[in-house]
Amino acid sequence: MKVKEFMTRKVEFIDNNQSVYDAVEKMVDMRIRSVLVRFSGMDQESGVITARDVVYKVLAKGLDPSTVRAKDAATRPLVCVDENVSLDEAASVMQERSVSRLFVCRSHQIVGIVSLMDVMAAELVKKARGSHVS
Amino acid sequence: MFLKKLLSHGQKEQKVVDGIEQHIRLLARACELFKGALETGDRKLVEEIVHLERQGDAARRDIIGTIYEGAFLPYLRPNLCKFVENVDHVFDLLQETALYFREVALPENIQDVCVQVAAINREMCDMLLITFQAMLRGEDLREKSLAVRIYEKKVDDIKFDLMADVRRLPVRDFWEGKSVADFLTGITSISDFIEDATDSLQVIHLSMR
Amino acid sequence: MWKIASGVFLGWSLGANDSANIFGTGVATGAVRYTTAIVLTSIFVLFGALVEGPKCMETVGELSLLSPVDAFCCTLAGGLTMTALTLAALPASSSHAVVGAVIGVGMLSGSADFSRLYRIVVCWVFTPVCALALAYVLFRVLGYLINRTIPSLTSRNTLYRAGILLAGCYGAYTLGANNVANVTGVYVGAALLSAEVASLVGGLSIAAGVLTYSRNVMVTVGKGIAPLGPFSAFVVVLTAAATLHLFTQVGVPVSSSQAVVGAVVGVGMVGDVRTVSQRMLGKIVLGWLLTPVAGGLLAYALLRVFFS
Repeated sequence: MKVKEFMTRKVEFIDNNQSVYDAVEKMVDMRIRSVLVRFSGMDQESGVITARDVVYKVLAKGLDPSTVRAKDAATRPLVCVDENVSLDEAASVMQERSVSRLFVCRSHQIVGIVSLMDVMAAELVKKARGSHVS
Repeated sequence: MFLKKLLSHGQKEQKVVDGIEQHIRLLARACELFKGALETGDRKLVEEIVHLERQGDAARRDIIGTIYEGAFLPYLRPNLCKFVENVDHVFDLLQETALYFREVALPENIQDVCVQVAAINREMCDMLLITFQAMLRGEDLREKSLAVRIYEKKVDDIKFDLMADVRRLPVRDFWEGKSVADFLTGITSISDFIEDATDSLQVIHLSMR
Repeated sequence: MWKIASGVFLGWSLGANDSANIFGTGVATGAVRYTTAIVLTSIFVLFGALVEGPKCMETVGELSLLSPVDAFCCTLAGGLTMTALTLAALPASSSHAVVGAVIGVGMLSGSADFSRLYRIVVCWVFTPVCALALAYVLFRVLGYLINRTIPSLTSRNTLYRAGILLAGCYGAYTLGANNVANVTGVYVGAALLSAEVASLVGGLSIAAGVLTYSRNVMVTVGKGIAPLGPFSAFVVVLTAAATLHLFTQVGVPVSSSQAVVGAVVGVGMVGDVRTVSQRMLGKIVLGWLLTPVAGGLLAYALLRVFFS
């Protein structure tokens, strides 16, 4: 099984000068767990804000999320894999880099996100299919 | 004569099993065609789906007829028939959705999402067949059932966002809007009915323990 | 020879009622056709009566000193008791009724053997208890073996289908073997018939009852056990048959209905299902007490009034 079969294609962006509060709003409204931070003037998105970043870097420090810029809370660089990479390889990368999600790329464009939940679900389906794995 | 009758029951059961497998394979083929139609925009494939649905109906009638001619213990028969009816329900919905597809013109982003859903539906048909075969062998269906639920959950997740996006689509009139709505409801409900069919397999499995 | 008419009538009503315990589930759920069920039951009841029927005859026939008229009154009283209790919707066992009648007659003549009666009553009490224990063990053991060796749905389906048939045949055999003594055992005691002829007459009368009048009871009783499922139903019938067979070797006729009740409870206990209620327990105890007393009183009355 390849990551492109199990990735989430819903990828949302904010500009790096927007606030962390904007990122949180987007996460809640779109029911997602991460927002990509696009840096102006650069070709590629270069950061990500997750719930972990919001809590550890902003809320736990007593900072106001509406005053903190996205670029200051974002995690960089993104950990990316090609869409044709197998799930096992993706899981290994996650383990090595201690991340809970990977960004899936096709020709340097981000086309999706694969999370730990996605990998777990895909492995369960693979096990259920058994010898019928396509 | 008596022994012959007892042994002939094995043949009827096998005929039912073969019939059900064929029925599910027809459904999988129809889902495959539907995915192809969405990918290529080839609306002529819808006619083939309708043709497969009719074959599915004939298969269902054969299966139920054989069941009530004496295949399987009477205790099992209603549950087996329920499963066959559930699969037929999926088939009917697929045909209906395919017919709506002929009438709607979807923007590319929505069409891509629909292709994704159709691909998942196709995978679920495979999983349904695998689960049925596992049930026949008397295996525990827990893993298979979970796999189907995982697929169904994926469709649910996609559906939520799809419905939000579709509300922003401009439509000319009520009927165009209705066709789009019915098409999208149909394509995202197919997975629910496949899940129901898988659940009915679990009931059959437990009733023979 | 007119004196055996009451025995034939008793055998007929026993066949009509008790055959439900054998193929009731199979017929009620449609696993076995009614015609197949009654033909198999008749054949195997007769077979059981002929092969092992004489084993229980002595127990019934020698409970008291019986004359041919005494024997007639015993079976008539047994039959009437069964009919009256059935009409009153109370459990009726031919074993209990006939034994009670023989004791009643024996008390009139002063020849009743209470030491033998004690042995019989102990067996009656142990019938549902043994069936319960055996059903529990069989369900667990057979269930384990079948799960390990026959997981396939279609194979299991064939197994249960064959199992219901074979258990039914065994049940019919043991019904004949154990209960024919209720029907004609008194005539052996009264030296009217030999054990072999008594087995034949009794077996034929039971078979006649099965063939002519068992449909209603078979469907009604069968539906009560049917909700258990095919494997449970198979175990219940097999256990009841084995219990009757066991007591046949002991030489005491017992109630097939109570064996079935015990088996149903035993199977239910595996799934921790409470299938016994106070009411059911009360009915069983009532059966032990009321039926023999009623049979005894009626036999006593018949002798005093018509043949004194």
